Parts: sequence; structure tokens; C-alpha cells
Amino acid sequence: MREIKVEHLARVEGHGAITVELEGKKVKKVNLEVLEGPRLFETITLGKLPSENLSIVPRICAICTLSHKYASLRGLEKCLDIKVPEKTRMLRSLMLHGEAVESHALHVALLALPDLLGYPNAVAMTDKYAEYVIRGLTLKKYGNKVMEVVSARATHGENPIIGGFGRFPTNDELYALKDQVKSLIPMACSLIELIGPMKFPVWLDEETQFACLNPVVKKEYGLVGDSILISDGTELDVEDYKKLTNERVVPHSYAKRSLYKEKPYTVGSIARINILGDKLKGRAKDYYTRYSSVRWKRNPIFNNMAQAIELLYALEKIPSLVDKIVSLKDPAVVKPGRDTGKGTGAVEAPRGTLFHSYEVKNGRMSKVDIITPTAQNLEDIERYLGITAQYMLDKGEKDDAIKNQLEIVARAYDPCVSCSAHLVNVIRK
Amino acid sequence: MTHHTPEARKTAPKKLPKVGIYGLTGCAGDQLTIVNCEDQILDIFGCAEIRSFLMAMSNNTEDEMDVALVEGSVSSKGDLAMLQDIRKRAKVLIAIGGCAVNGGPQSGKALDNNWKERVKQVYGDMKFSIPESLEPKPLSAYVKVDLAIPGCPIDKWEFLRTLGRLVKGDGPIIAKYPVCVECKYNENECLLFKSELCLGPVTVAGCNSVCVNNNVACMGCRGPVAEANMAGEVEMLVKMKHPHYPDRKQFDYDDVVNKAMMFGGSPMVELLEKAKGAKK
Repeated sequence: MREIKVEHLARVEGHGAITVELEGKKVKKVNLEVLEGPRLFETITLGKLPSENLSIVPRICAICTLSHKYASLRGLEKCLDIKVPEKTRMLRSLMLHGEAVESHALHVALLALPDLLGYPNAVAMTDKYAEYVIRGLTLKKYGNKVMEVVSARATHGENPIIGGFGRFPTNDELYALKDQVKSLIPMACSLIELIGPMKFPVWLDEETQFACLNPVVKKEYGLVGDSILISDGTELDVEDYKKLTNERVVPHSYAKRSLYKEKPYTVGSIARINILGDKLKGRAKDYYTRYSSVRWKRNPIFNNMAQAIELLYALEKIPSLVDKIVSLKDPAVVKPGRDTGKGTGAVEAPRGTLFHSYEVKNGRMSKVDIITPTAQNLEDIERYLGITAQYMLDKGEKDDAIKNQLEIVARAYDPCVSCSAHLVNVIRK
Repeated sequence: MTHHTPEARKTAPKKLPKVGIYGLTGCAGDQLTIVNCEDQILDIFGCAEIRSFLMAMSNNTEDEMDVALVEGSVSSKGDLAMLQDIRKRAKVLIAIGGCAVNGGPQSGKALDNNWKERVKQVYGDMKFSIPESLEPKPLSAYVKVDLAIPGCPIDKWEFLRTLGRLVKGDGPIIAKYPVCVECKYNENECLLFKSELCLGPVTVAGCNSVCVNNNVACMGCRGPVAEANMAGEVEMLVKMKHPHYPDRKQFDYDDVVNKAMMFGGSPMVELLEKAKGAKK
């Protein structure tokens, strides 16, 4: 038996490796190994205050920090019977869209584009594609700015609190965000137009299942919802998230695994675009109509393209959010209606559906269950890695070429290894 | 690495310093903060030879280096082996961020000392084929750390200032005073006077008191300041009266421990041990 091993998966968040076990010329097994040590997050916050939980759990992952914050807020506020006013909801939506811009710009322009253009990293790309690197950095910086204005820091901002915000951003700060969007939209369009016409390998094509949240405003594309849409037509209340995720432990990873109907599924931009794409508006819709095809349902490399379109969607959405927010008065922080209860909150993080499910007893955390997008994607990533390895072997490729292609496929999922390796399902105290 | 005089600086090697940026177990927020230096990142790659930065590049070179920046806590035997290897190859090892400096939120139950039991709670009896997990600890629990840049995550400007000084052969400047100093400069109303559990007095500055600027009490994410008077902080908090019911206490000792252990890690365990006298 022989092994092909990618020791350190580069240009992803966190610590992962890929191992392919071979028997002769056949791929026997593919493992995406999650080497991040476990942090046992859901046990850390047991017995602590909901507000302390709210500050600790975003530390699961720096890139999706505000998605964790928002999912946590939605779960905790259900537990505590808090309904926040429109301005608070809109500002939270704004921060989530800012995070989508930041995360997608980083992945599409700086981490994945080098793969698509044949470079080892974004800095090397500056020889011929300097303008794309600069655009990527500019878009990313803007996403960070949105997160800074709303949450008080680009990473792990603490301004969003249970029931509202510590301080509401001023209208001037918000208008400044709106004003910048105009100059950024052509940058996002240029990324779409660069990637859109590229040809991606047909040999990777294989059908899969997708899942995402059904947006709160049903007619619109969105990142927050109370129910889950699955590509087989099923709709589940978020409280029934376990019917989608069905988690189990595997020996080669500190991340738990998910299967829906005994089969892998995919969450993230490509899932959202495939399920909700018809709800897009503006230029994002134009590009979706121009470039999307049935192959987007079969090939994960198109996730890069789906992220680029979502980047544009988020930029086009931000001005209307700002207009709405500045028209509303700053509300007071809403106080809890009870100190015992349970509830599940979900948002669409850049990498897919994120669930935070809680129970609070006498004002203390008594149960915590967090399911991250990358943990849900791991099974599908391994499946596509298997297809990749077998194809490359059949073609007689050398190990280095195989490893490179394996990394490209894994990277298309924009995996967030830190997220996947926090763990799940904790026993009640 | 530290050359304070102009003469020493002249003799400093002209070649770009070799730098490696690494992550152990954590949220990658400190490496992300480096990537978030959008206006400076090309300069960073220009002023130092970045030999290894797995989060941002492929084709990394793993050999001798002048400076290693390491984020994350040691949470598995794999982490430990990696850290020891980095230490051997680096002239200067810098811990970046709360997990590397103090152990991070994952060491928040370090007081309970029941890691293995908690792993079992979560994963059952699974026999893992990957490196065994360890109770999360800061880098200094295992190797010599030459400099600590605190923060959850590190502050972008503090990082750039420190890196800039190091590549020029100067010594770093890390605050030795608490968040309260910055908070006063920012003219915030003291949240302790509003009966809130604020850890500003015992937390190392460098964040520009960002949370209190937004009416949110300091939760100590940067870890304890040098010579933190935790006994004084505990005493003040447990004696604080409820703002509306003067016959009631606002906080009990466990409330303070819960909050202090959110980010305080190993150093906070020691400080709380020392502060025990002030418990009553």
C-alpha cells in the first residue's frame, strides 16, 4: 500500500492535511485530516453567563467571527425571550454583509486566484496581475472597515451585545461606508469577469446535495433565516437542524462529520447561489444569468465563482441597508424576558450555514451545541478529493502534480479548519 | 536582534531578516490580523524575507530563521512537536496573540484540571489516528519565548510597530500598564463606577480601550498586565454593592473567576491562586 500525503494544506485557515491511501492504481481512502487540536468550546462556556458565551464562541474562528457572534446572538436571544428592534437587526445584517465582502475577497482574489492562474501565492501574482491583487486587498479592507464600524474591531469586535449594541455607529460613519461602495463595484465585477470565462475540469463533475437558510425576507437573497432549504426540496425549521447535520466522530479528525440521508452535502456560496440564485438582483443577477450552468451543481471549483458573485451581491446590498439604518432612531438595549429557555440560532457564514443551539438555566449556560459550515462540508470535500486523486492516477500524473490538484480542490471549498475542529455535542451539566 | 545604539545598527546585517509565521491551535485571528494589514502587507513582504506563512502561501521553506512568529496554544502532541522544531530553528521566537501568550479561551477551564474527562464528554471513547490532544497551554509552558505580543487578536498597529522595530534592529515596545490608562486618555466614564465587572485594571493595554469606548466592559482578552494586582481587583469587585439594593452584593467570587478565566489562561490561574486571600 502506498500513500500520497499533502502534509500541510496551504492557503487555508487552520491546520489540515490530506492523505490518500492507494492500493495499486486504485484510491482506497481519502482523509482530510484536521490537525487543529480540540478546544472543547462547548464545554468552556457551561456555567458562564450568556454574555460571556457571546464573547467566547466567536473565538472559534477569526475569519467568521461575526457570523459566530450573530448566530450566537440569535440563539441566546431566543433562550432569553428577547426580540430586537429593526435598527438592531439591520445593523447586524450590515456586519454580516461586511464579513461576506471581507472573507470572499480574501479567498477569491488572494487565496484561490493564484490556483486558477498558476501561482504559488498572491504576492507572486503581482508580476502580471498586480491590479487584481490590489483590488482584492481594497475589497478586503472595505469589508474589514464595515466590520470595524459596526462591531468596533475587524476581528472579535465586542460592540454587538445581547439585546442590541454597546454603541450605535453614527450616521456619518454609516454614510462613509455607503459612499465607498460605488468605487468597489467595478472591482468585484472585474474579478467575476476574470474567473467567469475560465474552463474548469469536467472530470470532477458529480452531483451533490446542497443546503442553506431560507432568507427571512422570502423574496430576497439573504444571509439570515429561521428555516433550512435543502436541494431535495425539504424545508426544516432551524430547531430541527440535527435532521440535516446527523453528526458523528471519525478517528482521523477532531472535527465531527455530517451526512444528510446518508450522503455528503455542501453548504456555502455555491449552495446559496444554486438554491437562491433566482432571487438575486442588480448586476449580481446579470452575472449569475450570464455564467451559471448545470455544472455549478456538480463541480466545487465553481464555489470560487459563486463567492465572487456573492461579493458583488453584498456590495450592492450595503447602500440600501445603510439608508434604512440611518432612517431609524437608536433603540435602547432590550432586556431579557426570562432567564431560562432554549433556542437555536443560525446564519449563513461566508462558508455556509452555521448553527448555535443553546439552553440557558437560571441565567447560566447549561447546554451548547455549535455546528460549523466546514464540519458539514468535510465529507463532500473528501469525496471530491477521491475523484481528483483517481483521475490524476489514471492519467499517470506524478505525486507532486496530484498533491497540487488535491490542494486546489480542497481550497475551492474555502475550508476553515479552526471552525471545523472546535467540537460539538456536549453533555448537560 | 536587539541593537539599541546607532553603531550597533550600522553593523547589523544588511540581508533581509528571515521570518516564519506559524499557527498552532487557535482561531488564526493573529495571522489574519497580519493579512489584514492591507496597506502594509506588500511592505511586510518587502522588509523581511517571509520564508514560511502557511496561511497565505504555498512553497514554504522550513530552515533556520531570524524570527518566528507563533500564534495559537499548544493543544496536541502535534502542536508541541511543531513548536519545538520552530524553537530550534529560530533565533528569536515571538508569541503572538492571547492563545500563544496565555493559553487562550480553550484554557478557560484550566482551573478544573479535567481535560481528559472533557474530551471524553465530547468525543466518547474514539481512538484517534491523529496526534493526541493536550490540555491547552501557552508556548512558554514548553519553550523559551523571547517576546510576547498580546491581544485577542493582536492589535494591527502594535504588531506593525513591533515588527518594524525588530527588522531595523531595535527593541520592541509592549505596554507595561493596564487598559485603564488608555481608557482615561479616551475620557470614558469608568464602568466600575457603574457597577460593571470590568477587567481593565488588570489587563495589559494596547487595544486603545476599544470595548469600553463602546460601553462594553473589558473582558480581559489581552491577558493580565505585568504585576497585575488581581487581589485588589477581586477585593474591590466582591465588596461592590448592588446599585439598586445596597444590602446586596453585586458580584460573588465565582462571577469574577468566570470572567477572569475567559481569556486569562495560565497566568490568571496563578494570579487567582495568589489572590485567594482576598476572597472573603
